[in-house]
Amino acid sequence: MLLIDKLTIRRGEDMLSYDLSLEAGKIMTIQGRSGAGKSTLLDLIAGFLQPEQGDIAWNNQSLLHLSVEQRPVSMLFQAHNLFEHISVAKNLQLGLNLSTDNSVSEVDVETAAKALGVEELLQRKPTALSGGQRQRIALLRTLLRPEPLVLLDEPFTGLDDATREQATDWVLSTARQYHKTVLLITHQDEDVSRLADCNLKI
Amino acid sequence: MHFFTLPGRLLGVLGYSALLLITLPTIVAFYALIGFGGDGVAWELLSDSYFHAILYFSLKQAVLSAGLSVMLAWPVARALYYLPDLYGRRAFLALCLLCFVLPTLILITGLVALLGRSGWLVPLLGEDWNLYGLHGILLAHIFLNMPFAVRALFLQLQGIPDSSWRLAAQLKITGRQRFALIEWPAIKGRLLVLSGFVFVLCFNSFAVVLALGGGPQATTLEVAIYQSLKYDFNIPEALTLAWVQLLIAGSLFFLMARFGAMAWLSPDTASRSFMPRVPKATRVVLYLVYMLAWCFLLLPLLALMPGLLALDAEKWLGLNVFWPTVTTLVLGITAAALALLLTYLLLWPLRQARINSQLMQMSGRHNSINGYSRLQWSLEWLATHNLVAPAMVLSVGLYVFFLTRINVDQWGIVLVALLNTVVIIPFAVQQMRPRLLQFDDQYQRLCASLKLSTGQRLQIEWPWMKQVLISTFALVLLLAMGDVAIFSIFGNGDWMTLPWLIYSYAGTYRIPEASLAAVILLVVCGLIVMLFERNN
Repeated sequence: MLLIDKLTIRRGEDMLSYDLSLEAGKIMTIQGRSGAGKSTLLDLIAGFLQPEQGDIAWNNQSLLHLSVEQRPVSMLFQAHNLFEHISVAKNLQLGLNLSTDNSVSEVDVETAAKALGVEELLQRKPTALSGGQRQRIALLRTLLRPEPLVLLDEPFTGLDDATREQATDWVLSTARQYHKTVLLITHQDEDVSRLADCNLKI
Repeated sequence: MHFFTLPGRLLGVLGYSALLLITLPTIVAFYALIGFGGDGVAWELLSDSYFHAILYFSLKQAVLSAGLSVMLAWPVARALYYLPDLYGRRAFLALCLLCFVLPTLILITGLVALLGRSGWLVPLLGEDWNLYGLHGILLAHIFLNMPFAVRALFLQLQGIPDSSWRLAAQLKITGRQRFALIEWPAIKGRLLVLSGFVFVLCFNSFAVVLALGGGPQATTLEVAIYQSLKYDFNIPEALTLAWVQLLIAGSLFFLMARFGAMAWLSPDTASRSFMPRVPKATRVVLYLVYMLAWCFLLLPLLALMPGLLALDAEKWLGLNVFWPTVTTLVLGITAAALALLLTYLLLWPLRQARINSQLMQMSGRHNSINGYSRLQWSLEWLATHNLVAPAMVLSVGLYVFFLTRINVDQWGIVLVALLNTVVIIPFAVQQMRPRLLQFDDQYQRLCASLKLSTGQRLQIEWPWMKQVLISTFALVLLLAMGDVAIFSIFGNGDWMTLPWLIYSYAGTYRIPEASLAAVILLVVCGLIVMLFERNN
């Protein structure tokens, strides 16, 4: 269970506050106008920002004293999710640790790459990919990493309708298969109806 | 985050040690000179007309050199930018790099052959022409610094996004509007910083002024320091001059670092597929400017060639240039490799401080002005302070310090390598810092999110940095290979370097021999630039 308890942070003149809970294995979509504090919430959970007050707890353990590296979180950013100067395959290896992590195998990665339509791209460099292709590669890595808590900041931006449907289906089935707890920011009501167990409006 | 893990902290400690290592020579040098001088600083010198004359000349030549270098560089950079199909454009950019790092003595030998008392072009210049004095110093400083400014401005222009030109074309705005709305905003910040940087280089200039200056009417503070140490061993006077130089150059450098936001451009985003159309008349003017720039940069180098013909076969064989060449290369490579390592290490705490400061800001806790924390300012200042600390004071101070402690003759060559390392580090910092900061900006969060170890992180940084490391290595290697100032204090005949050999020949008016040594050094430098440009 993810519990966010009276969490506050100052952003410029505004004081943002968050209060929510999400059961393990569920998917929460987050919606709201630009600048409302959606990405700030994800940054707080991931540890990139420190709150002024309140607590973030995962399975009854506070995360606040943990560094980014120590938190059980896998996050997809809005941009800069891949190292541009190394191949896609190497990018995937970095996040997935296939040799040491038994929960995901190379076959799982290949299957996921096929499902997302990116299996031909693994030997290329990210600079040779379109925005949508990069997004799908990064999405694949984020969800297959071993961390139970997955934060996705507008993961389907730049995808055409068909690919978007393909990607949302894959996120849903993978999250269920690996029992991931997902917080996903989106501006599309369609994503909410397809994916969400609950929806948060900020 | 990654910087705060155990190996990250260890690198931080090594980084602070590197900073201490490069700061120590400055502290020791001043300490030794102050201790040796006994009487301290000769403040009465400040009201002496001799001091006023050299201060005025130092400032005048530096202002003129910086202004002219940047003003002349601008049209050349425009020609390179607006006419991408120029013949020999890549070679010209390589030549620009070569000229900036060219050992000063090659240039001086070339200028003397071209414009000296019996130079080729002197008959065209009239009876009154005299290379020695302000004319010669300005010519040499423009030759050395204009190419650097060309490259910097060209890079700045290349950073203008295609979308701006597309929008301008679509809106059908005039050439003047294009200049005011696109080109000028892209370079105006850079012009000031660039002028300041060239000013500092010229203000601290040593070899050019030593060779082409003369008398109090054409002497800079750096040369006056050298003279007061070499001829009178008047340490209080040297210290006074050194403090004044440090104060002026240091203040300007500080202001540049504080207010002149260097907009470093990402090579990843510098692709260009759309260029504005240039009117035919402008094309012709730009083409002419480009041709003139070629002539200006090539003439002093070509002027070395006839000197070679004046040498007969016996003299060719009699010249021992092999070992000086090897010594120059070994010294240069050692200093450059050490400088790269130390620079990487000393940038680590700086990056750490920057990320800390950014985190504090993002969390709403301000500890900084314009995103810069005090710690970051201090670290940057320390990392680059050797650019403004007078090299002559550094060398002589250390000489005085070591004189009673070690056998300077025996260890002199080691000190030459170490001091050269310290002096070239600011240039390595300028080259490597933007790329590393860009890495942090783009990937710091990703590295932290992927929970990469320090080892994995370094593996990712290596391909990202490789090209910059190679080009930085080439740049600082060439700068170290051209050293005369440090060698003049610590070097000796057993370890002769090529620049010192040139200086020795030129000092005894053996210009053909000096030309030959200069050409060899030029060829070695040219090969290094070629290798570097191929890597680019």
